[in-house]
Parts: sequence; structure tokens; C-alpha cells
Amino acid sequence: MAKKTYDLLFKLLLIGDSGVGKTCVLFRFSDDAFNTTFISTIGIDFKIKTVELQGKKIKLQIWDTAGQERFHTITTSYYRGAMGIMLVYDITNGKSFENISKWLRNIDEHANEDVERMLLGNKCDMDDKRVVPKGKGEQIAREHGIRFFETSAKANINIEKAFLTLAEDILRKTPVKEPNSENVDISSGGGVTGWKSKCC
Amino acid sequence: MAESCEALGTVPEHERILQEIESTDTACVGPTLRSVYDDQPNAHKKFMEKLDACIRNHDKEIEKMCNFHHQGFVDAITELLKVRADAEKLKVTDTNRRFQDAGKEVIIQTEDIIRCRIQQRNITTVVEKLQLCLPVLEMYSKLKEQMSMKRYYSALKTMEQLENVYFPRVSQYRFCQLMMETLPKLREDMMNYCMSDLTYGLESIRKHSDKIGEAAMKQAQQQKSFSVALQKQNNMRFGKNMHVNNDRILEEKSDVIPKHALEEEAENDEEVLTVQDLVDFSPVYRCLHIYSALGDEETFENYYRKQRKKQARLVLQPQSSVHETVDGYRRYFTQIVGFFVVEDHILHVTQGLVTRVYTEELWNMALSKIIAVLRAHSSYCTDPDLVLELKNLIVIFADTLQGYGFPVNRLFDLLFEIRDQYNETLLKKWAGIFRDIFEEDNYSPIPIGSEEEYKVVISRFPFQDPDLEKQSFPKKFPMSQSVPLIYIQVKEFIYASLKFSESLHRSSTEIDDMLRKSTNLLLTRILSSCLLNLIRKPHIGLTELVQIIINTTHLEQACKYLEDFITNITNISQETVHTTRLYGLSTFKDARHAAEGEIYTKLNQKIDEFVQLADYDWTMAESDGRASGYLMDLINFLRSIFQVFTHLPGKVAQTACMSACQHLSTSLMQMLLDSELKQISMGAVQQFNLDVIQCELFASSEPVPGFQGDTLQLAFIDLRQLLDLFMVWDWSTYLADYGQPASKYLRVNPHAALTLLEKMKDTSKKNNIFAQFRKNDRDRQKLIETVVRQLRGLVTGMSQHT
Repeated sequence: MAKKTYDLLFKLLLIGDSGVGKTCVLFRFSDDAFNTTFISTIGIDFKIKTVELQGKKIKLQIWDTAGQERFHTITTSYYRGAMGIMLVYDITNGKSFENISKWLRNIDEHANEDVERMLLGNKCDMDDKRVVPKGKGEQIAREHGIRFFETSAKANINIEKAFLTLAEDILRKTPVKEPNSENVDISSGGGVTGWKSKCC
Repeated sequence: MAESCEALGTVPEHERILQEIESTDTACVGPTLRSVYDDQPNAHKKFMEKLDACIRNHDKEIEKMCNFHHQGFVDAITELLKVRADAEKLKVTDTNRRFQDAGKEVIIQTEDIIRCRIQQRNITTVVEKLQLCLPVLEMYSKLKEQMSMKRYYSALKTMEQLENVYFPRVSQYRFCQLMMETLPKLREDMMNYCMSDLTYGLESIRKHSDKIGEAAMKQAQQQKSFSVALQKQNNMRFGKNMHVNNDRILEEKSDVIPKHALEEEAENDEEVLTVQDLVDFSPVYRCLHIYSALGDEETFENYYRKQRKKQARLVLQPQSSVHETVDGYRRYFTQIVGFFVVEDHILHVTQGLVTRVYTEELWNMALSKIIAVLRAHSSYCTDPDLVLELKNLIVIFADTLQGYGFPVNRLFDLLFEIRDQYNETLLKKWAGIFRDIFEEDNYSPIPIGSEEEYKVVISRFPFQDPDLEKQSFPKKFPMSQSVPLIYIQVKEFIYASLKFSESLHRSSTEIDDMLRKSTNLLLTRILSSCLLNLIRKPHIGLTELVQIIINTTHLEQACKYLEDFITNITNISQETVHTTRLYGLSTFKDARHAAEGEIYTKLNQKIDEFVQLADYDWTMAESDGRASGYLMDLINFLRSIFQVFTHLPGKVAQTACMSACQHLSTSLMQMLLDSELKQISMGAVQQFNLDVIQCELFASSEPVPGFQGDTLQLAFIDLRQLLDLFMVWDWSTYLADYGQPASKYLRVNPHAALTLLEKMKDTSKKNNIFAQFRKNDRDRQKLIETVVRQLRGLVTGMSQHT
């Protein structure tokens, strides 16, 4: 395994209030499964899934954070390394939507300036208990110039679309490798390393 | 004449004989004549001679007398002729004519009288004859009426009288013969009808058997809680049934209830129906008596038994769906009870129609069938509640029939088999319950916001911690929600298992042992299996695994309370030595070990995922001075994990940390020595070294409390020495000190050193084209070749030594 088995590595981060379904969204995308029981995430966890976009093998390392305040210090340390961040709220929980503005401020404070962002309104299958109209989500996304999807981890609605869209947006901003880059002895090698230089 | 004989007398004896003959009746002549032959040999001849002489004398006497009276006779005739002439003078003829004229009418009248008297006599004769015949006709008419009214017993009596008394008097008449010829047919009709009536009667009995059985089982059930006095009353009722006589039975009707029976029922304040209240037995009794009177009792008995055996087989054949509901079983049992209650009744009220031997044979056959049916059908039951109700039904069923004198020990033996099956169904049910509990758990410590909430948890689970008790609210119990739920369910299981033992007449000690065995099975088989399946779930996370370790610790501590719980239930003395103890402790230890192992596995899997992200440039000329990104992420991840799982038991955390470091070290070493990696530059080695330094920093930062000195850093010592050897290019020291305990590079494997060095030699080969121009490069290559040869020697030596 000394050789790389992928072309690019994209690090994504899931943030949002506790209980909105961040872990379920990730679980649906990585394992195509759903767990009805709510188990609170402690600290930090991640899953890796390889996708193919525009002929390139891209490894998505997706960090799943605890939404509880007591894990704030730990989770914010992962903002810096993220290339894309998904902000998740629960359409049946108005409070979780109101807190999106707080999560956006956390991004401004701890993440790279050019990080890609996306807003997700989860649990859209529970329309009978809806509290946050779709229009509200669209509005705040428009105000911040970010993409918006309503999703359902349980019913598997828009999950894969959201992740692939975010990856494509990141890929669009990734420097294209020069044809002769392999033959040039440069201090920083490969796209990912170049990216890291930018992060520094 | 006697004198004449005396004159002739020659032999005195003969004379005497002759005198006797003349004076004695004819009937007595025999003995007299016998005496003649008994005398002298020639007496006969002499006697005959004497007899002839006597006869001649008598003849002479007669002639004299006739001569003497001849003149008188002539005179008489002459006088008569004179009277004749005189008569004509009397004018008798005229009188005679007048008499005859007058008598003609009388004669005519007399003839009429004679004719009338003949007629009267004929009439009298006819009347007499008719008086003989009329009773016969009346009896026959009565017989016909009785037959049409289905009063066969009376008809049978009438028929008997006709045959024995009346028919003989008038047997010469044709009508009588015709009547007699019809009697066998009537008998046959009677028998056929009785059989038909019996068949319908038996069918009716069969149809009502379930009601009889239901009443009997209900009565047996109630009787357990009734007073002794009530039992006596029931015995009296039963005794009354035994004394029912034939006549009353014939007259009895099902819709007539004796007044005193009603009063008794009022006293009991219960409606206790006797078998006779529910079923009309008259067809049986009638048929029995008819056949007895006909002298064909055996035929009836055989027919009855044959029919009842057929019905028994029908009753014993359950419906295919009987096992699905308790009602199915109940109907099955009530039919059987009803059947045997009827047989018991017949046994007591009839004389020999059924015998004790017969009913016992029938019962034994039935019992074998019942047990086979129950064994087969109960094996389909998967609902413990249904099995429990079945057991209750069987107990009532057995008690009911035992009350009627049928042996039921084999049924109680069957109940123990069913108890084992009941426990199996309980175990399956509780497996589902445990799975649901684990499914629903959120694997977080139970949050408590108030004193009331605290007490609720304490009341369900025996948790004791003075420190937690003193804390202010809000606070948390260390275990998650599943712990009190499982504890409660184990107790519920014990209650459910105990239920089966009720009414089975077992001692408290036996019940206690049985409960402990069942609970052990629940803990060591079911709960253990559920826990292990939970731990090995593909998607289980570290959060769940850590909480499971904490949970099993508390469940283990609660086992002693379960033992107390069982002891309290069975009221066994505390001093009693239990032959069975709860083995749940091992269940929880095993589960905890499995969870710990799974934590190590999960952590290592995460490390593997990071390692797969490694993107070294193995031919880089020079390191950029920073550790690789993937490794920094990995180190940060591990630091976060051990930072947030502070509630993990200390030893588990230490083992997990050590396991992670060892796994990481092994992975890095394998990466370096990978056979697919052909060339490594010194720059790459330098970069790799920076990464290992980060690992060592992590190990020395005490990510988990409790490690002694450099214990954790030992995980990376092999890598450290190997890299130092190459970084310092200290081959002379390594080769000189090889095998020495105090060697600086004691942990460097010659094979590993050789493998890595060859990768670096290959790198140098690429520069051969310029080698001739640089003395230093040429010298370096020679040195590498020299060291390679020496390392090969070490490796070879090691192989030979091995």
C-alpha cells in the first residue's frame, strides 16, 4: 500500500445542532443504511468513501462532529483542514434552523476562507411535522451564496446528490495538474500538497 | 248251591277255594286261583274236574226251576190276552185319537222349543269362545298401541303375556296364528328402533359432551377454593346419582328438575349442573332394559361399547389447528372430560353395561392418545402465554378426571416436558425483548434532572454510589437506559418461569432450583448471545462499545440481587445450600472482553483508513520539514478519541491506547518494507522519520492516564532504531555489536535492514551514469555493496541457526 490508490483527497465536515441527523446523513452516504435509534456522537468520527468524478478517483474523508456544546473545542480543531462543510438543520426543529447563523459564524472564525459550504434541511420525509418551510432554507442559502438541499437520511432523499455536488464544487477549484509535473523536482508535489500549501 | 257243593265234597281245600270264588268279587280271583297252583303238582287237574262237576250240578238246578215255573208263565199269558179284549171294550182308541189330535200342536211347539234351545246353546258356545278370544284381541290392540307410542318395555311385557297366557287358549284359531306370526317382526322392529334411538341418543350425548366436560372442569376448578362442607354436599349429590333406579330413569325427563335440587343450588349460590341435567340418558336406559327383557343383553352391551369407542376416537382426534389458540385446547379437553364423565355415570347407574375394567382400558387408550397429541401439538406453540394457559388447562383437566377416579400421573409427567418447552419459548421471547432493548438504547449515561427521576431509576435497578447521590442535579448515572430495563426483564422472566410451577405440586426447593437453572440459561445463553451479537454488529460505533463495557460492569454487580430475588420468591431459607447458583457473572465478563476486543479492532480499522491515505513521494530528494498530513490527522483523531472517552475504565483505555500505537507502528513498518516499494530515497526516509517523531510525541504526551514511564513509547522502538541506523549511517557499530545485549540497535532485524538498504541501493543505481565523475558517490556505492554482503551473511547465519 505504499502507492496511492486515489487521485485526490477531499476532506469534508458535517456540523449542526445535536440530533438533526448528521451521523445518519453520513451513514446513508457511506454505508447506504439507516439506524432509527438516536445515538449521540461523542467527539469526532469519520468515514471514507471513494467516488469517481470527471474521470478522477476522489477519496472523500468525511468528518462527523458532535453537536453538543461540550465537544466544541475538539470539533472546531477540524474546521481548518476541511475543504467543504455541510451545515445541517432539522426541518421539524425550528431551533436547529435558527442556530444555522451561529454555525456559519463558527465557519468564518475557524475554517479556511475559501472553504465550500452547503446547507442541508434534513428529515424532509416528515412533512407532517415540518416547522421550517423550504423557502426559508432557500432564502438563507441565497443570502450567503451557498447551495441548499432538503434531504432525508431515512428515505434516502438527496443524500448522494448533496455530497457529489459538494465534491464537484471543490474539484472545480482544485488546480489542474501540469502534464509534465511528474518530471519536475518541485518542493511541493501533487495537487493535494499544493492545496495544503494554500491552506497554510 | 253251596249246599249242593257240600254234598259232593271230595277235597276240603278245593271246596274252600270254590266257596271263595263264588263269594268273592272278580277282582280278587287272582290270588285265590294262584293258591291252586301253589299247592300240589296235580292240583290243577283235580280242581278242574271238581269245577266241571259243580257246573253240572248248577245246570240241573236251573232245569228244575224252569220246569217248576212253566205252568205259571202259561197262565200269565192267558190272562194277558183277556186284558187285551177288555181294553178294546174300554174305547182307548178313541181317547188315543183325541189325545193325538190334541198333541199335534204340542209337538209342533216342542220342535220350536228344541230349535230355540239349540240356538241358545250355540249362542252360549259362541259367547264362551268369544270370551276366550276377546282378551287376546284386546291385548294385541294394546300391544299395537304401546308400539305406536314407543313404550317398548310395556309392549314387551304385553307380548310376553300374549305368548305365555292368552295365545295357548285360542291357538286353534287362524287369526291367532296370524298374530303369532307377527310377533317376531314386532320384536325385530322394536330392537331396530331401540338401536336407532340409542344411536341418536349417543350422538346427542356426544354433542353435549363438551358442555358436560366444561361443567365438570369448571366445578373441579371451583372446588379447589370451596369449603369442605361444599365438598360434602357435592359428594352427597354424587351419591344421589348412584342410587337412581330403573323406574325413575324411565320416567325421568330432562326438563324436570327436582325441587330439592333447586334448593341446593340456591344454597350453593352457584349453578352446578349434574350430568343428567345436561343430557337425556333415557334412550340408553330404555334400550338397555329392552335388550335385557329380550334376553339379548350382550348384544346391546357390545353395540354400546363399540359405538362409544368410535366416539372416543372422534373425541381424541383434535382439529389440525388446535395448537393455535387456547380455545382450541379447551374444546379438546372439554370433549374428552365430557366423554369420560358420561362413561363414569353409566358405570354407576347401570348393572354391567360398562365395567371399571372397561372404562380403565378405554382411559388408558385415551391417555396415550392425548399425550401423543399434546406432545405433537404443543411443540408448535411459540407463545409462552399460550403454553402457560395450556399447562393450566392440563392441570384442570387432570384434576377433573382424577376426581372421577381416572389415573392421571402420566399427564403430570407430560407437564414437565411441557415446562421445558415453556422455558424454551420464554427464552425465545426474552431474546426478542433483549434485542429490542438494545435496539432502542441510545448508549448514553442516563440523565437525571430531579430527585424524583433519581428515585425512579433507583427503584428499578439496585445502583449504589454515595458520591453520585451527593451530587447536585442535573447529574448522570454511569449506565445507559438498557441496564435497568434488562434487570427488570430478567425479573419478569423469573416470574414468568415461576408461573408454570403453580399447581404442579412441587416443593419450594425444587422450584428454587428450577428457577435458578432457567435464569442461568437466560443469562448464559440468551443475554450472552444478544450481547455478543450486538457487539459484533457491523456498524456499531465506539460510543456504543464503550457504554456496553460500563453497562456490563453494573449488570454484573447486580447479579447478587437477582439471587436474593429468587430466594425471596421461593421462601427458601437463607442458610439453605443452593445446588444451583447464577452464572451470569461469566456472561458479563465475556461480553465485556468481547466489547474491549471490538474497541481495539475498531480503532485499528480507523488507523488503517488513515494509513491508506498515505501519499509519500518515495523518491523525494529532500523533506519539506513537516510531518505528513495524513499522519497528523491520525494523531489528532486518536488524541480526540481518548480525550472524549474519559468514562472508559482505566485499564481498557490503556490497553486500547497501547493496541493503537502498536498497530500504527506495525503499519508504518510494513509500509516501509513493502515488497512493491522498489526505491526509497534518503529524503523519503527523512520525511518518514518526521512522522515517526510525531508518533513518539503522541506516546509521550500521556494521552491516557496511568502509563508507567516510557511504556507507551516502546511501541515505536523498532521503528526508531531502524531509522536511526539509516539516518546516522552507523553500520560499523551495528555490525560490530550485532548479537550483543547492550547493542545500540538491538531491536533492528537484519532482514529488515537488508530489505531497506537494498531499496536505497537501487536508488543509487539510477545515478550510475554519473558515478564515474564523483568519487564520493563511488565510495558510497562500494560501502553499500559491502554492507549488503555482510547483512546477507547475518541473515543467512540467522537462517541456519534457526
